[in-house]
Amino acid sequence: MVENYAILPCNGLDKCAGVISREIAIKLCENPKNEIICPVYYRVAEAKYNKIAGKHPLLVIDGCQTRCASKLSAEKNLKISRQVTITEEAKKHKIELGSNLRLLENENALIEIIQNGLNNTEVKVTQSSVETSFLVKFEYETYQNGKFIFRVPKNQEVWFNENDCWVYVIGNRARIGVTDFVQQNLSDILYFTPPEIGAEIDQFGEVGEIESSKSVFELISPVSGKVISINETIVQQPELINENPYESGWIAELELTDFESDKELLIGFDKYFEIVKNKVKDVNG
Amino acid sequence: MSETTFMGVERDKIDWKPTIDYTKCDYCMECVKFCPHKVFEVRETEDIKLIIRNANNCVVFCRACSKICGPDALSFPDKNATTQRIREIRKEMESNG
Repeated sequence: MVENYAILPCNGLDKCAGVISREIAIKLCENPKNEIICPVYYRVAEAKYNKIAGKHPLLVIDGCQTRCASKLSAEKNLKISRQVTITEEAKKHKIELGSNLRLLENENALIEIIQNGLNNTEVKVTQSSVETSFLVKFEYETYQNGKFIFRVPKNQEVWFNENDCWVYVIGNRARIGVTDFVQQNLSDILYFTPPEIGAEIDQFGEVGEIESSKSVFELISPVSGKVISINETIVQQPELINENPYESGWIAELELTDFESDKELLIGFDKYFEIVKNKVKDVNG
Repeated sequence: MSETTFMGVERDKIDWKPTIDYTKCDYCMECVKFCPHKVFEVRETEDIKLIIRNANNCVVFCRACSKICGPDALSFPDKNATTQRIREIRKEMESNG
């Protein structure tokens, strides 16, 4: 692994995926520089594990989509540096997990893949390679409803999908993110799961996830293309998405595949501004 | 209302909703608590205690409920096929004036 981690597995013993999370944590801790956090003992030995979590970046290994380990880390105000979900990894690698709680051939194969991935893969996070090409300040139109203020950038190069994600296009490159509507609805964003660098994304394909204590939001890419960079800063400081989802809280940059075609299913400022006003009225009354 | 159309296409014409695999669903009802659009309905007194009640309320391309489903009992249509269908409908609308 690039870094030494404090490792928090879900450790759920009544599901195969939970057992796998436990096994991976044990294997990773064969490297004495890594330290394990027991989610059960954490309930009664908070000081011990807060100290460990304070020393190292936190790797969370969730078993299933219930994501108990991620929720525990949110409850304890821990910042997640890296997160994997066993059931998602199984799907990705087309490995079927059994219902047996003993680790058999498939489960051991998956453990090896995930362990190798964590041990050997450099964290492929890069800052924007074309940062200077993208404006850092937008002009906004503002809509206020009660105490909530929603801003929408007016720049012509910025497009939206109706799933409340924006794309800022320059040439064959694009920067994407979520709109104020998303961050206001999610409230305090606790973590961001980035897309993989190099991943080929279809238009309306998933391009990461952001999660708050209230909800989880799957980012639906406005454009098709290859992920060339992610915003490394928001991995560590996801609250920047709340502060400004258009500027410091951008999500990723893509090399575009076919923007002319994608554009047919995108909308500009005027239309999105009307849509967001209606959505806000629906939600807030 | 923004929900009646999606990308200019009547929502009713877009097949996008979760499908519940009742062999996996354990009726934990996390999806019901999660979805703010009232797509699901709980039927306490019935054998099948959870149904898709308001399919058209489901946000097209959103699959967030399946992400929080512990037993992995919710599935969605193929996104590319849905996108393609939306494009086709829009073309039909254009050619019909």
